[in-house]
Amino acid sequence: MSEKEKIQRADSGSSRSVKKIAIVGLPNTGKSQVFNNLTGEYTLVANYPLTTVEMKRTGCEINGEQYEVIDTPGLHCLYIHSEEELIVRDMIFKEAPDIIIQCIDANQLKQSLTLTADLLELGFPMVITLNAVDETARAGVWIDSNVLSGILDVPVVESVAVNGFGIKELKSVISRARRGRIALHYDEIVEDGISAIESELPAEMSFKRKVAILLLLADPFLVDYLREKYGQEMISRLQKEVGRLRGKFRGDFGLAINKKRSQWVAETAEKATKKQKMAPGKFSKAFGRLSRHPVFGIPILAFFLVTTFLLVTHVAGFLDKILSVVLLDPTVGYITRLLPSGFWNEFLVGDYGILTLGLFNAIVTILPILSVFFLMFGFLEDIGYIPNLCVLTKRIFARIGLTGKSIMPLVLGFGCKTMATLTTRGLQSRKEKFIAIYLIAFALPCSAQMGVDMAIFGRIGFKAFMIGYGSLVLIELCAGLVLNKIIKDEEKSDFIQELPAIRVPSPKAIATKTYYRLYWFLKEAIPIFLIAAAALFLLDKTGILDLTKMLMRPIVEDWLGLPRDILDVLILAIARHEAAAGLTLKMVDAGALNYVQCIVTVVITTMFVPCFANVVAMCKQLGIKTGLAMAFAINISAFFLAGILNWILVFTIGR
Amino acid sequence: MSKKRERDEYLEQLWYMKEKEDDSIESLKSSMDINYDRDVIEELVFEDMVELKEGAKKITLTEKGEDYARQLIRAHRLAERLLNDVLGGDYESGACEFEHTVTPELVDSICILLGHPRTCPHGMPIPEGQCCRRSSRTAQSSVIPLVELAIGQSARVAYINCKSDQQLHKIDSLCIRPGAVVTLHQRYPTYVIECEGSNIAMDEEIVSNICVWRKPEQSQEDGKETLTEPGRKGRDRFRHRRAGRK
Repeated sequence: MSEKEKIQRADSGSSRSVKKIAIVGLPNTGKSQVFNNLTGEYTLVANYPLTTVEMKRTGCEINGEQYEVIDTPGLHCLYIHSEEELIVRDMIFKEAPDIIIQCIDANQLKQSLTLTADLLELGFPMVITLNAVDETARAGVWIDSNVLSGILDVPVVESVAVNGFGIKELKSVISRARRGRIALHYDEIVEDGISAIESELPAEMSFKRKVAILLLLADPFLVDYLREKYGQEMISRLQKEVGRLRGKFRGDFGLAINKKRSQWVAETAEKATKKQKMAPGKFSKAFGRLSRHPVFGIPILAFFLVTTFLLVTHVAGFLDKILSVVLLDPTVGYITRLLPSGFWNEFLVGDYGILTLGLFNAIVTILPILSVFFLMFGFLEDIGYIPNLCVLTKRIFARIGLTGKSIMPLVLGFGCKTMATLTTRGLQSRKEKFIAIYLIAFALPCSAQMGVDMAIFGRIGFKAFMIGYGSLVLIELCAGLVLNKIIKDEEKSDFIQELPAIRVPSPKAIATKTYYRLYWFLKEAIPIFLIAAAALFLLDKTGILDLTKMLMRPIVEDWLGLPRDILDVLILAIARHEAAAGLTLKMVDAGALNYVQCIVTVVITTMFVPCFANVVAMCKQLGIKTGLAMAFAINISAFFLAGILNWILVFTIGR
Repeated sequence: MSKKRERDEYLEQLWYMKEKEDDSIESLKSSMDINYDRDVIEELVFEDMVELKEGAKKITLTEKGEDYARQLIRAHRLAERLLNDVLGGDYESGACEFEHTVTPELVDSICILLGHPRTCPHGMPIPEGQCCRRSSRTAQSSVIPLVELAIGQSARVAYINCKSDQQLHKIDSLCIRPGAVVTLHQRYPTYVIECEGSNIAMDEEIVSNICVWRKPEQSQEDGKETLTEPGRKGRDRFRHRRAGRK
């Protein structure tokens, strides 16, 4: 899936007259949702952090004025912890947006106010949107937005972004964005230090005060940035000055500054918040706790898996049948009557027909499966279930060398592998990054793949699903163990992962998300399906296909134990995994694959060739050479391991 | 400044320099600034506390001097922990004088009370004492690592041992800081704690670096009441003291 490209597609006709609005906030506070609401575009949203890893920009009109709106990845404060955050800070410093909209999750007011303090210190005109107020209200907490607005001196709008509430108000206050006010004065000695560094900074530089503070805090990324821009000499002078100040001040600047800010945050939050004495008991809280519980978490996971499996098998199977009856059969019948046989009949509706293998494969076979699966997956995403998996799987991942920050990308790989590969950018340890990218690309099925895999297994039973996916898990773990052994150790990264609150999802939001995912699938996949079918048709007609099948016979028939026609599936897999799965389904229905062959086919197509967008992302993270080498290694291992699986299955359950 | 205090300051400064692997006498001069006094150095050499090398260009602590300085640093950094995080006061003015007046036994008691903190609030290592090696834990020890809480129990953060600035900022940005109330929800497969309404999963390593007050809070509301009390008292006392000095 290349949702990534959708998200990256950044077209901005930025001219100076267009004002820039940047939407910033902590991770998982609804920035992308506000972006969608403001601009009428659609970026993927979900109830967990790291959904947005790249900037997205678009032009839009608000109250008759043209703006360029920028959606950003999460930012905790201006002192940076990860690469994603760095991009956001760089954007703020370099582009100096005209207006900043800060998204605050009302459940996490204090955490967000830390960022507010930083932004106010920078002196940008700001508007605050206080999101998810419905949830705080239910929990018995009331945040007085008027008081908050009074303290900060910027407009504060209450909103429930998922339902689009509060967006009108937000639009109406945008023109009233203000610089705000913050009474944050540090101790005399810290203030002296700040002004001493400020005076050393180049005159034309903006945000001197904040830069000086960050230098006192020894922000490593900022030093690199300044070195690049102003040269080593400048940096040496600054570092000498900072060193002198640090020596003079026997305390720690970081602590002194953080402490002042924390005090301000605590006071502000206290003034703006009123709490009921009794908070109603929350089902969702209990559910969250159970879903990551070492004992109860597993049945919950199994429940979701089985439900999804049954839905995909039965509901999608039913839809498939209806579509076949009303769409596929009449069309094929009509064409056959019109063109009884010959080249055109074969080209359109033959074995490799552009309609049968191309268009109808996508619409009749794959679309129903993905609709059902994406609905279910969107539901799981929006209640905030998925990140809890990183708690459940933590120990297992530690065994295979993934300790800290790399767990979340791997869990996100079940959504879209390309996006997950991009989130590994934040990993500092090269070893972890390498292992994570390899494992994401290897035996991990992405959501679309999982959907169609389930449909295939649905034809032959749940036990096959357990065997097939069990093998994939085993393969993934072994690959992790091997990689962990052969790559030399580095320092472990810290594992600190915020878990989103379990929410009651909005049906409308899930429907919208599913709609867009299917729309992107159709728009992107149908041309590829058609081209792939045409290519297969051409290969078949010229005889190349038969020749290749004959040459590959020892591998396909003897080693993998599959019929030689499976090569068609593998060729289609190079184009699109869903297309391959569609053809596999057809072969299963036609009785061309037996039980073991069916499992082996699913396992090999899940591992074989990561999709094109994923390979691009791999090259982007690791460099072209390593990326391609890794893709190659994955393909070789896919054939090797699928063969081993075949022989094990043949000896244990027989042909 | 008394003679003993003056000497102590030199020995502490030399310890700081040792941590930075710096042994040039120039650095010592520049950090002592106008207080630099050649006589003190000579006195220390005479007492076999420091050694001058390479024609008095380099200066290092002798074994005896190092032992003595270690005691001072230990007391100083423990005092910082106590005053800064636990009592919430202005630590520098207090801690500076603290180490010159306490006995090693008193220092050990504070160390036990605080649950053997490993770093000072600036992240510098606190030298180990006898009590740390025995990992003594008397009944009065009121600060314990968060990992020792029972599941579902809440406690107030006393201080955080941190291995790096980055880590401290990260933890701070999640509002886990001295005074915040945290609840331990889960221990296995990994730790999950709740702080200020958000759930956070983290490694055992990090959780064990968060130290909390032993006394369980009855409820968050009550917790916040008692929470500010000791801190406020501490601050007021120091404000008072400083005012008096001026």
